[in-house]
Amino acid sequence: MAKTYKDLREFLQTLEEEGQLVRVAGPVNPEPDLGAIGRAAADIKNGPAVLVENIRGYRYSMVTNVHGSWKNHALMLGMDKDATVKEQFEELNRRWDKFPVTPKVVSREEAPCKQNTITEDINLFELLPLYRINEQDGGFFLSKASVVTGDPEFPDDFNKLNVGTYRIQVKDKDRVGIQALAFHDIAVQLEKAERENKPLPIAITLGNTPLVTFMASTPVGYNQNEYEFVGALQDGVPTEIVKADTCDHLWVPAGAEVVIEGYIIPRHRVVEGPFGEFPGSYSGARLQCEIQITRITHRDNPIFENLYLGVPWTEIDYLMALNTSVPLYKQLKESMPEVVAVNAMYTHGMGVIISTKVRYGGYGKGVAFRLLSTPHGMPYSKIVIIVDEFVDPFNLEQVMWALTTRVKPDKDVSLIENCPGMPLDPSSFPAGMHTKMIIDATTPVAPEPNPRETQLLEKPVGSEAWDAVLRDLLKKGN
Amino acid sequence: MICPRCDSDKIKVMVKSPVGDEWEVYVCEKCWFSWRSTETINVLPKFRLDDEKIRNMQMIPPIPPLGK
Repeated sequence: MAKTYKDLREFLQTLEEEGQLVRVAGPVNPEPDLGAIGRAAADIKNGPAVLVENIRGYRYSMVTNVHGSWKNHALMLGMDKDATVKEQFEELNRRWDKFPVTPKVVSREEAPCKQNTITEDINLFELLPLYRINEQDGGFFLSKASVVTGDPEFPDDFNKLNVGTYRIQVKDKDRVGIQALAFHDIAVQLEKAERENKPLPIAITLGNTPLVTFMASTPVGYNQNEYEFVGALQDGVPTEIVKADTCDHLWVPAGAEVVIEGYIIPRHRVVEGPFGEFPGSYSGARLQCEIQITRITHRDNPIFENLYLGVPWTEIDYLMALNTSVPLYKQLKESMPEVVAVNAMYTHGMGVIISTKVRYGGYGKGVAFRLLSTPHGMPYSKIVIIVDEFVDPFNLEQVMWALTTRVKPDKDVSLIENCPGMPLDPSSFPAGMHTKMIIDATTPVAPEPNPRETQLLEKPVGSEAWDAVLRDLLKKGN
Repeated sequence: MICPRCDSDKIKVMVKSPVGDEWEVYVCEKCWFSWRSTETINVLPKFRLDDEKIRNMQMIPPIPPLGK
């Protein structure tokens, strides 16, 4: 059974034991230091999480870059920290099929997130060392919250309880703005509440066990409960939840550092943003929703977990890498069992590489068509590369080999104009529309003619035995 | 004091530093830009706001009609 974590603290301890967490004693300034630390940690290969222990003017610590490297990502899954990306992809696929695993409900007394309660003179700054992430941001943002909302029409339907990550701008000591994009689950629930002019109860949870954060940013179905996926990705070990204090149908992670409860103010929009986003540019200011905070519960000495995002790669790119790839792979595999792996790690799936067996001539393009008709791939994916089953799509050296030796541009590159696009892609014009490009880098299969020799070379006989001999000699220092 | 983004004078002190007398945070009650007293603020011209820009901003998500 793989190692699992009940809360963020257990994970941070493992990161530290594995040399993947460093502490900054400080004191440091909130600006520009906390943003700069997140940027710097992401720029280091296999960068560590960074726990900043003393921040000027604040009481408590903050941690950043928790998901920001492949080593940390492997440790999140309880795997060896040197597990390859493809090994992590395959392990996630295996555990994914254990869904659903019912979470364990704990009592209020058992839940660490209920150690302290604040209902009067609410002041986020007392608990959270808030800071500006990028210079032109409109204010201080929570970039890594797991936000819990229910369906006002079916409040007791646990399947419709949604846990998602949405950017949150601090507007006052007890009021925050939230970005509820129309194509995300929370917007469905908000619309139901706003038609009745009713507030939508909400719980913003911060500092969770890493797989809660992972599932909160995974595009699963509306009727799929993220907590039941966390149990699956913990290889069958249920995650622990507790009822929110202010709403009977909201459930929050028992081990959260901080739980902010309140409601979305109905039929109300004010300026939110701008905010530096994952494509590496700012997304502009818009009129967006606001949340009135009514209650906060938190652990003793809460740790503020937040992430830096900007020019890729940063922490968010590691977080959204495999949790975008795995659901796309599952959707393709259902109708096309030839598909071997899907790499949708680049810019939240705007670039995708698919490895597949080619059942008959032209099949590679058919696989691309399937990707471009999935819920996520249709708007997001712009550049699709298809490679043979023996190419690891997570290994760009191999993908470049496939591009250089398998692509005949006049027949293998296709452009399709005027398709659905992703508005945050700064190349899409008008925003939200783009041209798709499909590159078929697979070996031609009949009835496609293949006038040239493309058979792969075999390894010389004895290579494997010699591999062992050479490794042994290296070890002996000869 | 005026807002560095929209020039409004509707500014309030949002909060003072919880520990020591290190800084204050201000917020504009017109465009909701907020900043800390210790920051050097330079809002780029393209991100500055006025009444017309705020009026014409996209709304996310749109507000649905009221039910019966």
